[in-house]
Amino acid sequence: MRKANMWQIGRWLRQISQALFFLLFVYLLFAALQRREAFPLADLFFRFDPLSALGAMLASREWLPRLALAWATVGITLLLGRVWCGWICPLGTLLDWLGPGATRRRTQSVAPRWRSAKYLLLAAILSAATLGSLMLLVLDPLALFTRTMTTVILPALNYAVTAVLGGLYPIAPLRGVLDALEGWLRGSALPVRQPLFAGNWLIAGVFVFLLLLNRLASRFWCRYLCPLGALLALLSRVSLLRPLIGAGCVQCGRCSNICPVGAIQVEEDFRIVPSECVACLDCFAACPERGIGWRPVALRSVAVAAKGLAWPAAAEAYDPSRRQVLAALGGGIAGVVVMRTHPLAHAPEPTLIRPPGAQDEAAFLARCLRCSQCMKVCPTSGLQPAFLEGGPEALWTPHLVPRLGYCNYGCNACGQICPSGAIPALDLARKRQAVLGRASIDRDRCLPWAHGVACIVCEEMCPVAPKAIRLEEVSVADDLGQMVRVQRPYVLSDVCIGCGICEYQCPVEGAAAIRVFRTNA
Amino acid sequence: MAQNITRRKFLGWMLASSGLALWSAACSGAPALPLSATRRPAPAPAAGQAYLAVAHSEDAAAATRAAIAALGGMERFVKPGDDVIIKPNICTDYHPPEYATTTNPFVVATLVTTCLEAGARRVRVMDTPFGGTPETAYAISGIADATRAAKGEMEVMSPLKFVMTSIPQGKDITQWEVYRDILEADVLINVPIAKHHSLARLSLGCKNLLGVVRQPNRMHRNLGQRLADLASLIRPSLTVVDAMRILVANGPTGGSLNDVRQTNTVIASHDMVAADAYAATLFGLRGADIAYVKLSAEMGLGTLDLDTIKIEEIHA
Repeated sequence: MRKANMWQIGRWLRQISQALFFLLFVYLLFAALQRREAFPLADLFFRFDPLSALGAMLASREWLPRLALAWATVGITLLLGRVWCGWICPLGTLLDWLGPGATRRRTQSVAPRWRSAKYLLLAAILSAATLGSLMLLVLDPLALFTRTMTTVILPALNYAVTAVLGGLYPIAPLRGVLDALEGWLRGSALPVRQPLFAGNWLIAGVFVFLLLLNRLASRFWCRYLCPLGALLALLSRVSLLRPLIGAGCVQCGRCSNICPVGAIQVEEDFRIVPSECVACLDCFAACPERGIGWRPVALRSVAVAAKGLAWPAAAEAYDPSRRQVLAALGGGIAGVVVMRTHPLAHAPEPTLIRPPGAQDEAAFLARCLRCSQCMKVCPTSGLQPAFLEGGPEALWTPHLVPRLGYCNYGCNACGQICPSGAIPALDLARKRQAVLGRASIDRDRCLPWAHGVACIVCEEMCPVAPKAIRLEEVSVADDLGQMVRVQRPYVLSDVCIGCGICEYQCPVEGAAAIRVFRTNA
Repeated sequence: MAQNITRRKFLGWMLASSGLALWSAACSGAPALPLSATRRPAPAPAAGQAYLAVAHSEDAAAATRAAIAALGGMERFVKPGDDVIIKPNICTDYHPPEYATTTNPFVVATLVTTCLEAGARRVRVMDTPFGGTPETAYAISGIADATRAAKGEMEVMSPLKFVMTSIPQGKDITQWEVYRDILEADVLINVPIAKHHSLARLSLGCKNLLGVVRQPNRMHRNLGQRLADLASLIRPSLTVVDAMRILVANGPTGGSLNDVRQTNTVIASHDMVAADAYAATLFGLRGADIAYVKLSAEMGLGTLDLDTIKIEEIHA
């Protein structure tokens, strides 16, 4: 046995980097969980995401300065290749950790031509973006992971922890410890009220499917599907430094066995494919000859180009054909056209209530990264992932569902955390004037209107000063036919801002007797 | 690496964790506890002590101290080693204290200080806001900073600690889910802010108790009697009505300084009904005009006849 070579240290550094970025990702999730004041850097990962940046800027036809840090990711990719994928991406890290162990990588086989799928997906995303549609950004890895954490994993975690603590609570000797734990966690890491997200089952299903695919091949998502990976793979073809297997290669095959993304072509003299390599350094550390290292690309010499230093990198056999790319570009366009001919794209459900300041639907859809951070930061969990309320193009965009949570009059966190400005960063005074919708009373369900029963909860809750819900005292027959004096609520539509706290708090069972509907902005 | 998880181990863990889950599910479905307030009763005034104290000052802390002093000092209510809970009104995180929607932070802080001076083991301050999260509402109200500066603790009310509690004297409701610690604390100090409320007419001490129960909106059906029923269970040791600023319209959420009156008054009594009845007079009403005050008095929880009690008015 030879001693581990110095690249072993590099490999450890990569593993540490992955762990730290993963922890940072999770920390940021909690740091801006249901907070009125969004933590200023809570959207940090998205600011470094060139796919989101490119998509949103294409779609909105606007320079979005907050996403400019994506150039840093582009820069490092142009220097060293897909470092983002191997060292930073939290989803990639998770898939690494959950993937088959290194010893089993060799046995997996998925036809290499599937690698082109990610490029075709990228082409479709970008062509759709030129028409102002970002629907396919639901597949951005950061958005996908954040959405799953927000709507599935964190609520489930809170439920589980609360259930276990609640189960232990009746045991008297444990109460001191549990009280201390609750005092520490509740209201900070654990929300006071259990967050509930509509459609969490579908979002969970997509994620579980991804994890299952990971059993077919390690980092299946990163190799075959990830559109951000595809964008970085394109950039890697012109990167300036390449990992290269040196002349001392004894063809032992350790590198190709250990490679988590199958980037080493055994048949081609152990050539490392630059667009697939995620710079994880596993092969560097595994090489018994210490023969793998970074080499600058050969801008002129043809002799070394054959060994993998050609610039730009030579095309791979599984690269999509021109015809396929054109089909994907056309598919993106056609998809948008079809989605836009859905009835809901023209007249959304009246319950599609957008976050404050995001009432221009087309402008909103052209900026929203589908990252779901607004849903995570929303202190009431009223912001929910849309399903078809706004047509298929608006899948998993945020909308307010007042029966699940209201728009807090004291909060403007969603606009602060939104990385692309789809929800504008309004100061509190302006956000309080932003009209989300209008409330209207269902007089057949409302307790005073329908039953002559005293109830003014909607008026009590209305945060606007003076109130948008007023009361009129009248004599009416109650359910027994007796005349009673009750105060009946009515809404001043021009004063109502559609925050939905009336609908949320309405004590009528099931559908509320006062509901907020979208305005025809 | 976690390579050495055997099937046997895995199944063992599954068995253990599902057992734990089953057992915790069984526990959480436990029947209503026949709990009632275990707190010692609010002490009646001794000779020389006021039944109800009304202090006026531009300084909230001075008014609070003066009112407590007239009642015989905090030592009358708090014994060394006591566990004290102070329940202010922190209804939303919308506005700072000038808007008179949440209890004056200096009234709360002064109560924290006097409790600790009287030897309290710990003093916790808590409420359930209906608008915003507890953390932000505590902060915006100014009560979090003031309480911590006075060495009190802010507690976010935990969903684990609400217990179905029978209300033996209840006329309309005979059980409700109430925060356990509120019932078990040695001393409970109720610190409402006096403000307008469309259904109850005024939100005062008894109305402030809505912040310690689950599903407060379900209380609005027959609100007056239900609040009186709740008061018969919770029985605060001391009620201190913050009337430094009062909200005369658009309550309880407020939002306009035009609806705020600077009345520079703190009202304190061991009798919540009497304190509420006196506070009503600041709005030109009588205790009997407020359903929950009147019904509480009818249930024998206190008096609304202000002519028969010893009221001490202080200008601090």
